[in-house]
Amino acid sequence: MVTVRFFAGIREITGQKETTVAASTLKDLLTNLAAKHGLRFQHEVYGPEGVSDEAIILVNGRHLEHLPEGLETELVPDDTVAIFPLVGGG
Amino acid sequence: MSNILLITPERCTGCGSCELACSFKHEDEFKPTASRVSVLRFEAGVSVPLTCLQCDEPYCMAVCKTGAIDKDADSGLVSVDGNKCIGCRMCVMACPFGNINYSVTAKKAVKCNYCDGEPECALWCPQQAIEYLPQDTATLGRKKAYSAKFAQLVEEVQS
Amino acid sequence: MYGWIGKVLRVNLTSGKISTEPLNEKLAKDFIGARGLGAKIFSNEVDPNVDPLSAENKLLFVTGPLTGTLATSAGRYNVVTKGPLTGTIAASNSGGYFGPELKYAGYDLIIVEGRAEKPAYLWIYNDKVEIRCAEHLWGKLTGETTDLLLQETDPEAKVACIGPGGENMVLFAGIVNDKHRAAGRTGVGAVMGSKNLKAVVVRGTGGVKVANKEAFREAVLDARAKLMAHPVTSGGLPTYGTNVLINILNQIGSLPTNNFRTAYFEEADKISGETMAETKYLRKKACFACTISCGRVSAVKSGPWAHVGEGPEYEATWSYGSQCGVDDVDAIIKANNLCDQLGIDPITMGSTIACAMELFEEGVIDQETTGLPLNFGNAEALVKLTEDTGYQRGFGAELAAGSYRLANKYGHPELSMTVKKQEIPAYDPRGVQGMGLEYATSNRGGCHVRGYLTSPEVLGIPEKLDPDSTEEKPAWLKTFQDLTAALDSAGICLFTTFAIGGPEIADMLSAATGIDYSAEDFLHCGDRIWNLERLFNLAAGLTAADDNLPPRMLEEPIPTGPNKGKVSKLPEMLPVYYQVRGWSSDGIPTDEKLTELGLA
Repeated sequence: MVTVRFFAGIREITGQKETTVAASTLKDLLTNLAAKHGLRFQHEVYGPEGVSDEAIILVNGRHLEHLPEGLETELVPDDTVAIFPLVGGG
Repeated sequence: MSNILLITPERCTGCGSCELACSFKHEDEFKPTASRVSVLRFEAGVSVPLTCLQCDEPYCMAVCKTGAIDKDADSGLVSVDGNKCIGCRMCVMACPFGNINYSVTAKKAVKCNYCDGEPECALWCPQQAIEYLPQDTATLGRKKAYSAKFAQLVEEVQS
Repeated sequence: MYGWIGKVLRVNLTSGKISTEPLNEKLAKDFIGARGLGAKIFSNEVDPNVDPLSAENKLLFVTGPLTGTLATSAGRYNVVTKGPLTGTIAASNSGGYFGPELKYAGYDLIIVEGRAEKPAYLWIYNDKVEIRCAEHLWGKLTGETTDLLLQETDPEAKVACIGPGGENMVLFAGIVNDKHRAAGRTGVGAVMGSKNLKAVVVRGTGGVKVANKEAFREAVLDARAKLMAHPVTSGGLPTYGTNVLINILNQIGSLPTNNFRTAYFEEADKISGETMAETKYLRKKACFACTISCGRVSAVKSGPWAHVGEGPEYEATWSYGSQCGVDDVDAIIKANNLCDQLGIDPITMGSTIACAMELFEEGVIDQETTGLPLNFGNAEALVKLTEDTGYQRGFGAELAAGSYRLANKYGHPELSMTVKKQEIPAYDPRGVQGMGLEYATSNRGGCHVRGYLTSPEVLGIPEKLDPDSTEEKPAWLKTFQDLTAALDSAGICLFTTFAIGGPEIADMLSAATGIDYSAEDFLHCGDRIWNLERLFNLAAGLTAADDNLPPRMLEEPIPTGPNKGKVSKLPEMLPVYYQVRGWSSDGIPTDEKLTELGLA
């Protein structure tokens, strides 16, 4: 199982901080979560239109954008996926 | 009178945008001391914006000896006629809320006139702590928020 | 003048002479205001080799042309002086309401010279300026000082003051305005303390005029609309405050932990913005004219550290939290509040305690020296040592010089996580390469707000840059440094740049001043300011060797977390950065570059 952690506003959508999902690729995992958490998740994170511009998705700390395989990145048990809305500070 | 300025103090962050927008509109400069709307900042970060409430029975109008203050029957706005004002400041003393000011530069009483129907303070408030809303629906949001608690209670009792 | 007031207040504390002079319009145009104009006036008047804590050093409080207007988050002012912590030029930036009030009183800036014989404060009511006795305030915390000063001057006045930290010349003392906003870094509060100046109190009933009313209104409406539509400035920051960064920095593996021994903190969520929003924050509180409202009124409701205060911000939560291995959020909030009250910089304070913790764990110092068991994770030590530092008591008197001097004293300079003697902040440069270059080249020592590459490298704003890559970082950094220097000088808050950039700010500045600044002109001003600061530092004796990182960043790979195995690749980036800047390989601006900038 892959560990998924939710942060900031995403926690309000999912109602949880952490879950585990059985998935072999990042795309599978996000599809699974999108089905489970409904329209708001699909709009703010991942849905039929792909990955939202306003989401930060990390696989083991690496931003989706910098993963060579992108959404097709293969996941293995013990991997961690972290999902944030676009946030900033300083 | 179609719209009123509705103030929701719990949304105010104290930034003072309303004071800046007001003085910029009416005095052509950023000058909070000349603003018709004032933000009162308290300890622990609570702030309250205050401006003229356009009373139905304005004390300022009642004490004005020169008839410079008038309440328009249609719009409901209480306004100062600068030509008649002699700068005696009786209105300033009479307003129980401190919402009419004496302008040192104009040497007249000055007060909020809702910017003739397009109030800048409401436009520039980033928190919707000041809103310009139709009189009959202005408080609908609060009613809804409050009644939602009852609705929840009823649901719980009945289920 | 429009935007600017056009007047300078000069106060000599030695002679008691108070005078005003017109603002030089050419300097204002070229160096804008606040940080840039302050640096120009300061370097014209003060020998770069001045002892920062001597009467010959000067202390400038400088606003920008947008300060006090409705421009986006335009409440900033800068304190410019030579910093005692770093020995560099110091520009320390603060928000709140003090800066705008100074302009309403009729001044763009105050130049404070000399040293008062006895504790004094400056009371400014429009054109009435007095040096008053402050003996009854000496020793008091910033909150009480502010209350007393408002009682004896004007309840609507604004106060910038020092606490015991500045009085006792803690080398990283700050200046606190409006009780909870601070010109925090590089030790500007110690300079104020060395001058026996307890506070500047200002009340102004005037205004700020802009050149082109309609154009200004349009430009600000446009910039505001962008801020209020952007997810960071309308969502994340208003909801969680700056602490929203704790979890993300930890998840990418760049949250420095235990004095940078590692960069991943298991207990991060306990000290995160999400947790604080749930349990500690009472309400939002904005600085002047700000739509973002990242400030937080917070409360510790029970226990030994119960109080109501403000903050902590991300950097302080980090310095007292993961950097010291502490997950007790109440202790962190309390220690941060003590920093506000004592008037000291929580970034340097927390990180200096972290350095002491490592010295303790390595057996270099023992309990006889520290007065308490100083292991990582000791929450009580944060509160106790912060207070002792403010009063220069016991081991606190050693901490009061910062980690660079502490670690050197005990023969382990490598355990101080500093650049140019100032503590680097909350982004591990081994996992965010551009930030390493940013720290190394900052003109005021270890600092994150001189070119915030975290924005593209971690958050993906305005573009997603790979944090591991070094390739484009020097060029990006130059642009960010120049933009930041220019916007700091204009008087608006850095946080606006999540949503707006050079074009929007240049439009507001042009409409306000009546001088036509294109976005390129604006960046060019930033470049000029950056180089001016560099020239001051070089004249003060700094060299390219000071553009460096703590050896741990270059030699010790991060041992745990997502960035395990990484080190900073600073040596790859620095020569390219010098080239991009138009500097020699020794980091010295070339004659050609200086001519281009009008600095020759």
